[in-house]
Amino acid sequence: MFGLIKTWKALEAKGIMGINRRNADYVLKYNKRHLYPIVDDKIITKERAIEAGIDVPEMYGIIETEKGIDKLDEIIAGRTDFVIKPAQGAGGDGILVIADRFEDRFKTVSGKIVSHEELEQQISSILSGLYSLGGHRDRALIEYRVTPDTIFKSISYEGVPDIRIIVLMGYPVMAMLRLPTRQSNGKANLHQGAIGVGVDLATGVTLRGTWLNNKISKHPDTTNAVDGVQLPNWDGFMKLAAGCYELCGLGYIGVDMVLDQDKGPLILELNARPGLNIQIANDCGLTHRAHAVEARLEELKAKGIQESAEERVRFSQELFGHIVSKEV
Amino acid sequence: MRSLNLHLKVLITLLVALGVLITAYQIFILGIPVTEDETDDLWNIDAKVEFQATPREPVKLQMFVPPLNQDYVSLNESFISNNYGVSVNRVDGNRRVTWSARRANGKQTLYYRLVLTKRYSGEQAPAKGPIFRDSIPVEGPEKIAAEALLAPIRQHSADVETFISETIKRANNVNDDNVKLLLGGDASTANKAKVVDLLLSIAHVPMERVHTIRLQAEVAQSPELWLRSFNGQKWLYFNPESGEQGLPEDRLVWWIGDSDLVSLEGGRQAQVSFSLNNSEMNAIRLAKLTDENTDASFLEYSLYGLPLQTQQTFMIMVMIPIGVLVILILRNLGGLQTLGTFTPVLIALAFRETQLGFGIFLFTVITALGLSLRSYLEHLKLQMLPRLSVVLTFVVVLIATISLFSHKLGLERGLSVALFPMVILTMTIERLSITWEERGGSHAFKVAIGTLFAATIAHLLMSVPELVYFVFTFPAILLILVGFMLAMGRYRGYRLTELFRFKAFLKD
Repeated sequence: MFGLIKTWKALEAKGIMGINRRNADYVLKYNKRHLYPIVDDKIITKERAIEAGIDVPEMYGIIETEKGIDKLDEIIAGRTDFVIKPAQGAGGDGILVIADRFEDRFKTVSGKIVSHEELEQQISSILSGLYSLGGHRDRALIEYRVTPDTIFKSISYEGVPDIRIIVLMGYPVMAMLRLPTRQSNGKANLHQGAIGVGVDLATGVTLRGTWLNNKISKHPDTTNAVDGVQLPNWDGFMKLAAGCYELCGLGYIGVDMVLDQDKGPLILELNARPGLNIQIANDCGLTHRAHAVEARLEELKAKGIQESAEERVRFSQELFGHIVSKEV
Repeated sequence: MRSLNLHLKVLITLLVALGVLITAYQIFILGIPVTEDETDDLWNIDAKVEFQATPREPVKLQMFVPPLNQDYVSLNESFISNNYGVSVNRVDGNRRVTWSARRANGKQTLYYRLVLTKRYSGEQAPAKGPIFRDSIPVEGPEKIAAEALLAPIRQHSADVETFISETIKRANNVNDDNVKLLLGGDASTANKAKVVDLLLSIAHVPMERVHTIRLQAEVAQSPELWLRSFNGQKWLYFNPESGEQGLPEDRLVWWIGDSDLVSLEGGRQAQVSFSLNNSEMNAIRLAKLTDENTDASFLEYSLYGLPLQTQQTFMIMVMIPIGVLVILILRNLGGLQTLGTFTPVLIALAFRETQLGFGIFLFTVITALGLSLRSYLEHLKLQMLPRLSVVLTFVVVLIATISLFSHKLGLERGLSVALFPMVILTMTIERLSITWEERGGSHAFKVAIGTLFAATIAHLLMSVPELVYFVFTFPAILLILVGFMLAMGRYRGYRLTELFRFKAFLKD
């Protein structure tokens, strides 16, 4: 009992945010319910992002009806690789990544050969709502296949590593690199076994990470150190994330981005209820940082100033960046 | 945000205060029992009147019956007689029943039955009585004896109360010559009371005779004489034998005054015998009974005013918030993961039908089988609606099979399954399989265990009979619950499981 109270006090002192606090003080306060569809539907997110001039993987086409499946050939004509996704899918289900064509058939990233019929079957399943959260009818999205930057080769196992930045009212507060592992089956979701690695907001250099709620410093599959890696184009990521506030209007979001070999940082999706394990990855609580941002907002509001995305990024980098990593 | 907090605090305070006030009012002012086990004595008093009727003469028998304005509440009163006319009238604060018949022959028996209890009496009217009276004229040796007795009584007393008890004490000292003279050789209680009356009248202290019945079961008894006097504020009761002051709790005043209990015309050898017995009755039912007999209609607007059938439904319904509260605490304070918020409550309700142990067994078996079917259907890539329908049908078939088998095996328990809400099961299977796909098998297992655990706790709490009674009788408690739930809505502290989840932070 006393041990628990001590743990409580210690966590509180470190500013670790719990689910209750996240929901009450941030998600409920800053995220208007009617704006959720913008982040829940990847197609709407993408359309909004394109309007706002934010980089996203190029959309090849949308299939909305069974009849629309006939358009598939037209959409993928002349393309060798692409991704088919449910617009409202969750947890990476129902995503089909085609890496190449093989005679009349297609080849997925893992090397499996799929026929044209199977492709159509997959789209049909997506439309019927097989992968959407509530089982509602859904739309299928066909888009550009991201090729992860080679920088991740040594610290990643299959899949596409992505970068998650928590953004509070347009201010990036914490960032993490999510690396798929053998256990996560190439998916970048932490609760499925992916690794989260903290990232210094100022420099884009990785810190140590978290795996299944533990702290780690090496990738379990490749055994390479995950810390001290410089992420390229870091300021680009930060600006992209900060701009997402204007894009969706939600005040507290997790922005998931990827680093494409050719196109640089791209936004994959937004999350209105970002998880809390990012704190373990960064070995730092979210509460103090969020309070700092809220104090800044108050201050600016009093002066009647609205900061641009660049200014917000600079503020966050100065305040939250340049972490001196502790030696083990 | 701050104004919102103030708003919330005011609202919570208001709700809790309202809930506490209403409940306190019900408990302390209306006197509604707090537990169902609370019982009250219910007294059944029979007065049997027997007499020999004189042939060819009209019969008229009058008997005093208890006035109903006492601490006791009468629930039922009946006059049992054959061929007699009955009328009740009030005379000088007494009630008197008159049985009359034109003609009666031989031995006659009449009954008076009173059922009463000592609860829920309404407001007592302020006592009223004389505080002065004239002396009874007395002459010669009696006068001297009385004067001689009164002198030391005056000396030894300070007020009316002590004066009377002193007088009674003196009058009971039969060795005193003055007392002997006044008693005239008759040392019965009635005669002593007469002497006390005489002495008190000389001192101008008013006094009344009170005839009481002792509320004691299975004891033959006749009315016991007490004396009472009004001291300006209240009646003081005295035992004429011992001078003991104060009427014991178990006495019921039958009638007041000097008259005999029974007066009879057209008959002889009137005899009254009393028999009492008591039974215990559930306090809330008693309250309902007295409610009909008194003007305090406090149960009128409670849930007890509903028809019995509806009451039973409400007894389950008022417990749902309790179940939800359990889930709320387990989830938001404990961090337990369950399937949705209300599924555990629904399962807890289902456990009512099946009993806990068997319910858990059924839930586990049917869910496990349903899940395997669901995962098989997954391969067929069916759409949601057809898939759900198949699962539902399968659950029905499964339940039917279990019922049939258990019936054949002689286990009647299995039949309760028919009432087990299978929609709940189907939804549970469906949601569990979605969780399985999205978050993996171990997570789904954790969630299923969490759901079962929460449902079990909720069921156990929801079926505590004392709690059911309490919430049903004092529904204002729900306002307090709402206050707590509102407060929980702004709770930002850690959940218990988070203390373990974030343990890594403390390993430096």
